[in-house]
Amino acid sequence: MSKHRCYIQGSAAISAQPTFDGDFFSAPLTTTSANNLVAMEPDYKAFIPPNSLRRMSRMLKMGLTTALKAVQNSGQPSPDVIITGTGKGSLSDTEKFIRDIEAYKESALNPTPFIQSTYNSVNGLIALQQKSTGYNNTFVHRGFSFENALLDSLLQLAEGNVQRTLTGAFEEMTAEHFYIKSRIGFWKEATIGNAALFEHNTPGSISGEGSTFFLLGNDKTPHAEAVITGMKMLYKPSAEALNKALPQFLQKHDIQPGDIDLVITGRNGDINTDHYYRVLFSAHCPHTPEVPFKQLCGEHDTAGAFAVWLAAQILKRRALPAILQPYVSHLPKTFRRVLIYNHFIGEQHTFFLLERV
Amino acid sequence: MAERVFITGMGLITAIGDNVMENLRSLRLQQHGMGHTRHINTIHKEVLPVAEVRHSTAQLAAIAGVPTVQGYTRTTLLGLIAMKEALQSAGLTETDTPSAGFINASTVGGMCDTEKVYFDIIDPEQHGEFLDYIDTLDCADCTQRIADETGIGAHIATISTACSSSANALMYGARLIKHGQLDIAICGGTEALTRFTINGFNSLKNIDKRHCKPFDLDRNGLNLGEGAAYLVLESESQVKRRGAKVLAELSGYCNANEAFHPTAPSPEGDGAYAAMKNALAMSGRTIADVQYVNVHGTATLNNDASEGKALLRLFGDKVPMFSSTKPFTGHTLAAAGGIEAIFSVLAIREQMVFPNLNFSDKMEEVDVTPETRLLEQFPVRNVLSNSFGFGGNNASLVISKYE
Repeated sequence: MSKHRCYIQGSAAISAQPTFDGDFFSAPLTTTSANNLVAMEPDYKAFIPPNSLRRMSRMLKMGLTTALKAVQNSGQPSPDVIITGTGKGSLSDTEKFIRDIEAYKESALNPTPFIQSTYNSVNGLIALQQKSTGYNNTFVHRGFSFENALLDSLLQLAEGNVQRTLTGAFEEMTAEHFYIKSRIGFWKEATIGNAALFEHNTPGSISGEGSTFFLLGNDKTPHAEAVITGMKMLYKPSAEALNKALPQFLQKHDIQPGDIDLVITGRNGDINTDHYYRVLFSAHCPHTPEVPFKQLCGEHDTAGAFAVWLAAQILKRRALPAILQPYVSHLPKTFRRVLIYNHFIGEQHTFFLLERV
Repeated sequence: MAERVFITGMGLITAIGDNVMENLRSLRLQQHGMGHTRHINTIHKEVLPVAEVRHSTAQLAAIAGVPTVQGYTRTTLLGLIAMKEALQSAGLTETDTPSAGFINASTVGGMCDTEKVYFDIIDPEQHGEFLDYIDTLDCADCTQRIADETGIGAHIATISTACSSSANALMYGARLIKHGQLDIAICGGTEALTRFTINGFNSLKNIDKRHCKPFDLDRNGLNLGEGAAYLVLESESQVKRRGAKVLAELSGYCNANEAFHPTAPSPEGDGAYAAMKNALAMSGRTIADVQYVNVHGTATLNNDASEGKALLRLFGDKVPMFSSTKPFTGHTLAAAGGIEAIFSVLAIREQMVFPNLNFSDKMEEVDVTPETRLLEQFPVRNVLSNSFGFGGNNASLVISKYE
């Protein structure tokens, strides 16, 4: 797998920034004054017929639309293989069904929220819409949801039986779930908004949501954005294991720290877990420009997918978006290779390595 | 890619037994686990039969050997009991588990416990011990607790593709082994009964008020069950290095999507047919090599007709013996693929075919008859095990005698 080159042939992202159909590279930061970044939802009518739209909940609309747009952007036919990751699936459907059971005393329940709450309902819908009859899988493991979906895709592409996969992630935040997570300290106590995410030395972060899809393949197609050359997941690593893992990862891919032009980190302003990033990069690549990304999309289980999308856009444009420029003292000289390091609440840690096409 | 993937250990808990031996004994005695729930507060309590593990959650904690039940969901505890048996059966100890991976499956995670306190959780006026369950609702909580209790650390994942979840966990584990990402992958699923799923399937009018009757003319839906099952998968080279005892080979698998309907299978069983056909092709076996099919056989009107059609399409007039073991265990959703994979290993090891309980008359639309007798000393070398789910997700495994 270390020598396998997987092309991002097309992609799409719905996030709290104008990533879906705006000019993300020159756009100013879209801000919130709350501790919750809400996705900018596009006009779904361009992608989904009105009679289907009425029946679909928010997560399904967001997931399906991003998947369709990623295929469209690739200029390639839709693949047979669909692999996704989601930490929570369609939360609003899960909550609705729990409430319905209580409100209607378990009688005459509408099954739609139950069906849509099933974690693989987005995948089923994409397959149905795209007539994709191949392998179809959904990973649901917090900060390893998208990561396992990507690994599964890379392995299948490396096997050579599959030419392309549609690989993605989706996550939704609801007011109810935001409150639930606030009870166990996920979010900052003071309301700070995303613009000031890194200015408070306090525990917790701000929440986010979004949907990101990639069309991945073995061939360099005309619209190809970037190449994914490697990834490594580490579950609850000790400080020592993490410190060893990064040089091993780079060595496995035959690169030196100096070969990395830009590091993208999952820093989220939480003083309890941001030290992982600081310690690792000050030890191994102290001079490499580093930019964080969670001030753009908020913290969520599948934020790693957004980071991969961001890296691919940077490598494709060979430029840093205006909203990220303030984070670096000097711009990278070249944009050949980006390393991403993200962890979710200090438990699931992942390195991704991307190169330009 | 040449690495073969072997099954070297297994553990399970279901309504018909707390471990593999007890499950085998119940299958042999034809004792099913169907009854009425003692642990779930639902108006359907006396109406809809379920296959519930008889122990209370506190008793499960004692069996699993955790010091206190607080914070552990029933889903986690069922899983932990099955995991400990699987590790012991494979002869894996604390020194082996850090280099093993864990691929788990679940459909609703810790819903069984969170649904009981959900309205307290969302009420700012309420405080108390229920807050220990606040982050157990998702599917990863049980996986991480089981991994942390047993020291598994090399790779971790949770899959949720409805009723095919743990079959997909086995496939992913096998893929990680074939690519050299892992030498040992422990794969399967865990599922506890919940008010959420009982009402979900009931709202779909998919639950029979009687004991389910797979493949029968008079079938009218499924019965839900709970349980957990894990299989230890190892690469051929790892088996040699460790001198592990091989129980069977996972020789083929396929996951195919129907792209037909969000919850219903296609009438001609397109997905089931594709999954079985491709799994068999991967195993290098032909239809003549299959002695037994452990069918998905939920006893819903749609599944059995569609799966029956797929059997006829694949095997023609030579459909091998087949049975659904769901009348014994209930439909355990994410755990079903793992439980039935273990039953498939047992069919090979014990040279047995398990009976399809409650069958009397053939379906009108498909000319197939399940095996209703318990067969012993029957030569079983290759078993097809089917798991089909919502979202058109179809998975088939081929489990073969170690040769």
